[in-house]
Amino acid sequence: MKVTIPENRKVAPFLVFFIIHSMQTGIGILGFTRIIARHAGYDSWMSIILVGIIIHILMWMIYKMTTIADGDIIAVHTYIFGKKLSKMVCSIFILYFCLLIVTVLRGFIEIVHVWMFPDLSIFWFALVFFILVIYIVNGGIRTITGIAFFSVVLPFYIVITFLLTIPYASFTNLLPMFDHSLTEVMKSAQSMSLTVIGFETLLFIYPFIKSPEKSRKWAFFSNIYTTLINLYVAIFTFAYFSENQLQKYTWPLLTIWKIIKMPFVERFEYIGIANWCLIILPNVCLALWCASWLVKQIFSIRQKTSVPALAIVCLASISLIITGETQNMLSDLTGRIGFYINFIYLPFLFFATLLARKVKKSETPS
Amino acid sequence: MSLLLLLSGCVEKEVLDDISLIEGIGFDLSENGKILGTVTFPLYLKDAPPKNQTFSAEAKIKKSFLQEIQKQTSDPIVTGSLEVVLFGKDIAKKEGILELIDAFQRDPGVGAGLYLAVIDGEAKSLLEGEYGIRGNGTFLANLLEHNIKQEEIPRSNLHLFLADFYQEGKTPFLPQLKQTSKKKIEITGIALFSQGKVIDVIPPEKMFSFKLLVDRFSEGMHQVSIEEGDAAIRSIRSSHKFELTKRNPEEISIHIKVKGIINEFTGNNLTSKMITKLEKQFEEDINKECLSMIERFKEKELDPIGLGRYVKTQTKNFDINKWRNTEYKNLKVKVTSDVVITETGVIQ
Repeated sequence: MKVTIPENRKVAPFLVFFIIHSMQTGIGILGFTRIIARHAGYDSWMSIILVGIIIHILMWMIYKMTTIADGDIIAVHTYIFGKKLSKMVCSIFILYFCLLIVTVLRGFIEIVHVWMFPDLSIFWFALVFFILVIYIVNGGIRTITGIAFFSVVLPFYIVITFLLTIPYASFTNLLPMFDHSLTEVMKSAQSMSLTVIGFETLLFIYPFIKSPEKSRKWAFFSNIYTTLINLYVAIFTFAYFSENQLQKYTWPLLTIWKIIKMPFVERFEYIGIANWCLIILPNVCLALWCASWLVKQIFSIRQKTSVPALAIVCLASISLIITGETQNMLSDLTGRIGFYINFIYLPFLFFATLLARKVKKSETPS
Repeated sequence: MSLLLLLSGCVEKEVLDDISLIEGIGFDLSENGKILGTVTFPLYLKDAPPKNQTFSAEAKIKKSFLQEIQKQTSDPIVTGSLEVVLFGKDIAKKEGILELIDAFQRDPGVGAGLYLAVIDGEAKSLLEGEYGIRGNGTFLANLLEHNIKQEEIPRSNLHLFLADFYQEGKTPFLPQLKQTSKKKIEITGIALFSQGKVIDVIPPEKMFSFKLLVDRFSEGMHQVSIEEGDAAIRSIRSSHKFELTKRNPEEISIHIKVKGIINEFTGNNLTSKMITKLEKQFEEDINKECLSMIERFKEKELDPIGLGRYVKTQTKNFDINKWRNTEYKNLKVKVTSDVVITETGVIQ
């Protein structure tokens, strides 16, 4: 179904760069290097490039689908399956986004527990966080995009902190190269799905982009940028830790910060982790917005009602996850679901769209 | 906004004036086989250098000794400012230090640049001395730091020790210190570890060559003798390069480059012919010493310079067990060096 959105509620095409990158960068990047090194060892930098290429293809598919169906994900499903079925299938995505919110925010709180304040109350912190999120989401997609912009630009200095590891790094750790099989590289690629998903939000915000064809190149640049950042982090991580040592640390990126010596603070991690709060903010905002927008399209409930309602549901779920172990299981689950939705269901949807187009063309007499 | 203010009271506070920030920890083996832990922290006095306080306690599980020490101190002990951890000779040789290090790995408040050292003696008595004007922990950390930067100790800290320990084809090492009097400490060598226990110690006169083989760039002083006199040559920049020249049995060629300046010469005149002689003698010294050191490492099944790791970077499907059992023993090593003396001081 077609939804007309007034131009003053849409975002400029180049801002898609910030939306996609900020959505892809969450808490995955803090720990993914250990996970990819499990299968393909220090050759797994190849997995990062492989995943980047696959996502590039998936984004191209997304743009094709949305152009053919002329709309967002619901439009695509309606195009293939018709109104009723599309409403049923798309409501699953509401749960998907709630799952993302819970995983990202609880994961962040877990990090704060382990590295900074073990006795921080999960409920109260999440409550205050959600109040901020609701405030931002109520401003609409334009406000969220503004936050996404800052969350990409302001923490950029973190990239420079990696250079401080060079005196203690041996880049020869990456040798010998190509010492692992293609299967191992692919397994590593699959295991990093939680780190790179987020680009699928494109499917949901499509109607809110001004001149969407112009945003294509920005979306592609965004993915390339995310891939490069992941590659950069991985190479420095592999040079800094020996292979068996890396498997010991849950969040290698945070452990790397332990080597930084500054005159005014003993542990740089306090600054870095606090900054990470800003990095996950647009992730939660965007996911909440997407979920509430879906609720509006499917159940015709106003966003002003659904946003706080969904936030309360997520808050309750987060408060129920008490141990770090449960959080790990949740992360694994989200990673797996994310993998199936993005890398299996999306291509299926794409081919279904093409098929539907073929069928529709043959139905209408030329 | 008001909720944020309320939240800030929700986590445990640690006010700087009311805590004891320990700077150094020492571990020894007590008489009944338990771990004896010692902490040292400075007590800041008005208009006077800080006074060193030490507390010791015994415990079965390593870091829980801190709980025992809490029972003795007026302010809670906090490890955020930890600079150095020392291991007494007995514990380093008999029990090994791996389990002790686990606690520091796990603690988020401990930095990766933490200095570790082995003590030729008791860590407790060393920490109870009075050194320097800034507190024992800082003194030890500074002692190690400047010797690493400009003298003959190779780069070493908690992170590097662990990286070497977990690295296939390498064994870790730590500097060794000894208390020579109530107010003096000396560096007495490099302790080489295997499976967390000290197996061998490199004596001070060989530390220069060892550092040449281990660090990417190293400085340090070396005495070279020719018939015209003795020279003290300071290396201002040196590097090494490994090359795998043969397989089955493996052969590695190590090439060392040293750029040095002459600080002292006991002979009469320093002619350019003598400089060339000194360079040649220096090269011979390096080659001989490095080779004999490597032979000793092979004998003791140690590999602190990481020859195994080097072969791994050049080999696909490297088999670490085969390396440990046979290939390392049969490894042939050739050492060549190239010394260039660039300056000889302001006089002839």
